[in-house]
Amino acid sequence: MTATPAAVAPPKNASKVESHRADAELPMAGEPAVPFLEIEALRAREFIPAAKEALTDLIAEQGQSKLIRPVFNWAGRNSLFPLHWGLACCAIEFAAAFGARWDAERFGVVPRSSPRQSDLMIVNGTVTWKVAHKLITLYEQMPEPKWVIAMGNCATGGGPFRTAYSVVPGVDKLVPVDVYIAGCPPRPEAMLDGILLLETLIRERKE
Amino acid sequence: MKPEDLARSLPPVLAPVLLGVEAFPGFAARVRFRREGALDVFRAIHDLGFTHLAMIGGIDWVDHREVIYTVWSDEARTYLLLSTDVPADDPRVESAVPVWPSANWHEREAWELVGITFDHHPDLRHLLTPDGYAFHPLLRSFKIHEPEELEVKTRHV
Repeated sequence: MTATPAAVAPPKNASKVESHRADAELPMAGEPAVPFLEIEALRAREFIPAAKEALTDLIAEQGQSKLIRPVFNWAGRNSLFPLHWGLACCAIEFAAAFGARWDAERFGVVPRSSPRQSDLMIVNGTVTWKVAHKLITLYEQMPEPKWVIAMGNCATGGGPFRTAYSVVPGVDKLVPVDVYIAGCPPRPEAMLDGILLLETLIRERKE
Repeated sequence: MKPEDLARSLPPVLAPVLLGVEAFPGFAARVRFRREGALDVFRAIHDLGFTHLAMIGGIDWVDHREVIYTVWSDEARTYLLLSTDVPADDPRVESAVPVWPSANWHEREAWELVGITFDHHPDLRHLLTPDGYAFHPLLRSFKIHEPEELEVKTRHV
């Protein structure tokens, strides 16, 4: 299926949007050359010796702080836990993405029922002013580091209800948004595309 | 149940506040009354068997506003429409909660969207819009705001 990329990053990352699919195979500039960090998955019995060897060398070479960041990025981008909540019809597509057909758990994405256990908020639906402060509360209850995906046209910019008396014109007025997904509603493929884009953004994360 | 039968079965003490009982499509009848006797009319209608309040709505006719009540009778298997006019500069009417408890949320909704105040309502808070919301958005005088303007006026504590 050769659909156009449905998810777009904020403008500051505009130059990287075009090639985010191809990035996965390329070594990232500035990332330490640690062999196991470029491998997405290892068997458990291979992982411990590989990590021990790589970490010991690297700590001796570069010190601890430069090492921790890529390890956290590597772990974080492969275990994104979104908050399990739904606002409107996009939540149906959100639910479908975790079903048998699309199976978002392949990417380590497991919805959690508590914001304390989540590091990703997928805002899937129309945000009204009535629910706005509850959304902010949920966001503040999530531990750092945390990310936000605005899923669908309503969460991105208010959608068809932009001028309505009760609708927040875009969830970025309330919380910082990392990835916008277009569509009304976006198909599950588009949601997975947005999550993969977020994973590439986490890979580049420096602080 | 015909409108004439309904008019005959209402107690005579209601005559000063009743403005008319007439046929209305889809309903057994439409009962118009003055807002001063609202609670008496509610009690009389409830005693006739209309025990279920289905809906309360407000209509903005610009020069005045109208409050409509849709009630249902299980015995007669029919709906009844009650309506009363309130002036636009003093849009208040007695609450129907003592007669039909389900009026509670309907009246909260009519209050925040059409701006009709229900006297002696037990808990007249915002239902669909946030606390401190400064508009009655279903009034005809309500203009579509730019999102930014609405945001500033709606930002709550």
